[in-house]
Amino acid sequence: MKIKDDYGLLIKEAKEIRKQIFSIIVSANASHIASSYSIVEILVYLYERVLKIDPKKPTDFNRDRFILSKGWGISALYSILYKKGFIDKKLLDTYCQDGSKMIGIATRNGVPGIEATTGSMGHGLPIAVGMAKALKLKNSNAKVYVIISDGEMDEGSTWEGILLAAHHKLDNLTVIVDYNKWQSFGRTNEVLNLEPLTDKWKAFNWNVCEVDGHSFPQIHKAFESLKMVKKQPKVIIAHTVKGKGLSIIEDKNDYHYKTPRGSELKIAHKEGLI
Amino acid sequence: MTSAFTRSLMKLMDEHDDIITITADMGYSVFENIQTKFPKRFFNTGVTEQASASFAAGMALSGYKVFFYAQAAFATMRCFEQVRLDVAYNHTNVKIIGTNAGFSLNQLGASHFSVEDIGLMRLLPQFTIFTPGDPKEMEWAMKEAYKIDGPVYIRFTKLGSKTFHPRSFTNKIGNIIILAKGIDATLFISGGLLEMGMEVRGELKKKGIDLSVVSVPTIKPINSEMVLKEIRRTKTVFTLEEHSVIGGLGTTIAEIIAEANLNIHFTKIGFPDKYTSVTGSIAFLLDYNGISVDKIVKVILKKIKYS
Repeated sequence: MKIKDDYGLLIKEAKEIRKQIFSIIVSANASHIASSYSIVEILVYLYERVLKIDPKKPTDFNRDRFILSKGWGISALYSILYKKGFIDKKLLDTYCQDGSKMIGIATRNGVPGIEATTGSMGHGLPIAVGMAKALKLKNSNAKVYVIISDGEMDEGSTWEGILLAAHHKLDNLTVIVDYNKWQSFGRTNEVLNLEPLTDKWKAFNWNVCEVDGHSFPQIHKAFESLKMVKKQPKVIIAHTVKGKGLSIIEDKNDYHYKTPRGSELKIAHKEGLI
Repeated sequence: MTSAFTRSLMKLMDEHDDIITITADMGYSVFENIQTKFPKRFFNTGVTEQASASFAAGMALSGYKVFFYAQAAFATMRCFEQVRLDVAYNHTNVKIIGTNAGFSLNQLGASHFSVEDIGLMRLLPQFTIFTPGDPKEMEWAMKEAYKIDGPVYIRFTKLGSKTFHPRSFTNKIGNIIILAKGIDATLFISGGLLEMGMEVRGELKKKGIDLSVVSVPTIKPINSEMVLKEIRRTKTVFTLEEHSVIGGLGTTIAEIIAEANLNIHFTKIGFPDKYTSVTGSIAFLLDYNGISVDKIVKVILKKIKYS
């Protein structure tokens, strides 16, 4: 029963994070709410169950590293960094305001917990590969985790990084693909088809798990099974729904750009996000 | 020049165990000894310039000083965005070694010519840019590159193997070095054309003109006061480089002159703003682009005659 209770807490936290995201996005009239909603469960699981990072010592050498390569999902990351005590409410509330360091795409500018400047696509994974290799050389047990988007899998540099990580047998590196099947201007299978995606990663010598990216039991199972994997980098292909958690924006690409407003706020209220 | 680089790197890696060297599949007859001696600190990352630049940044963010080696064209322009965002913005200890710049790979054409790289790299805040002109300047640049906390670009060509400086040569970053002090005009040179510059001086001397020859081993930062002191002395100024006349040494000196409101004579000698679509020896390609002892002498004489 304990495990069930745990998931209950995680589910509750995911709801809180979505509320927090909604609040800062709407206040700043900002974009990318749907991109953030797609990774909430993965982020909550990572920060509650996986990552060993002390919010009081966010640059400690032996910390785990987390890179949000899909840096435009930053409102989700800021929200969880606030929840975990890396940043305070005062800073969080400056999201996208004049002169704020809380930039609308992950930027390594001194905000605690942000390891890399991303958002230009295909950077996060190769940087993580370099970090993972350096940690191995320095005999550190720290691990490196990266969330990449499906759109980023179009980039050549992502595939260069995939080759490098497998060649160096970096079992301290885990990639999570946020596979919500939308990229900037269309469906991934219509713009540039990635399938068969699992087979591709396997063929590149990665250890692959596929999960429903909104199911804590499945995410948990994947991370548990990957713990055993040695001498191979690991990837979790997380099937997700863009905009998950607010009915009117689910699986709609418009909210990559638009901010909910007007009557949409009433629906958000009804669905417990305000 | 390459052997001075390899020798310096070997020495640095011997002395400091926080150095990693990565190459994007380049280094035939350059890295064999280093590869054997430091198998855990030397990586061939394959033909992945983009990922290699990011990988280097990732390693540097985890405590290493990373020397990233490739042909100048590919170490800068192929992966410029990764250099801009991952290496420069993050102020990482990545030291980019751009070999075979200019027309060094003379037979290989446009893909392998690198005549725009300094212009691009100068745009990036935080970067220190070295253009060593002889083996001693290379050894010095490598030592400084290790000491600097931040990104570095060391750019060199196949020229510049003749030594001009004494064994004990050292310098301060940004300072220029007067190789031969003249009184009638000054020729600033970056990179491997010091030998040609000294020949030009010899030819002009025969015509009664005393040319100053000045080496500029750091394009950025540059000691503007030192540059201005030299310019104010001779008042007739030329720049010479194995790079486009846009963005490199010529532009750097022009910016200094413009901001100092000097009434002097100034001419840039470098590659004109057009593509070179022929092959040939390095000497041929330089001459084809207006760079030979005779052509430079003519340019200087013409300017002095009318000045």
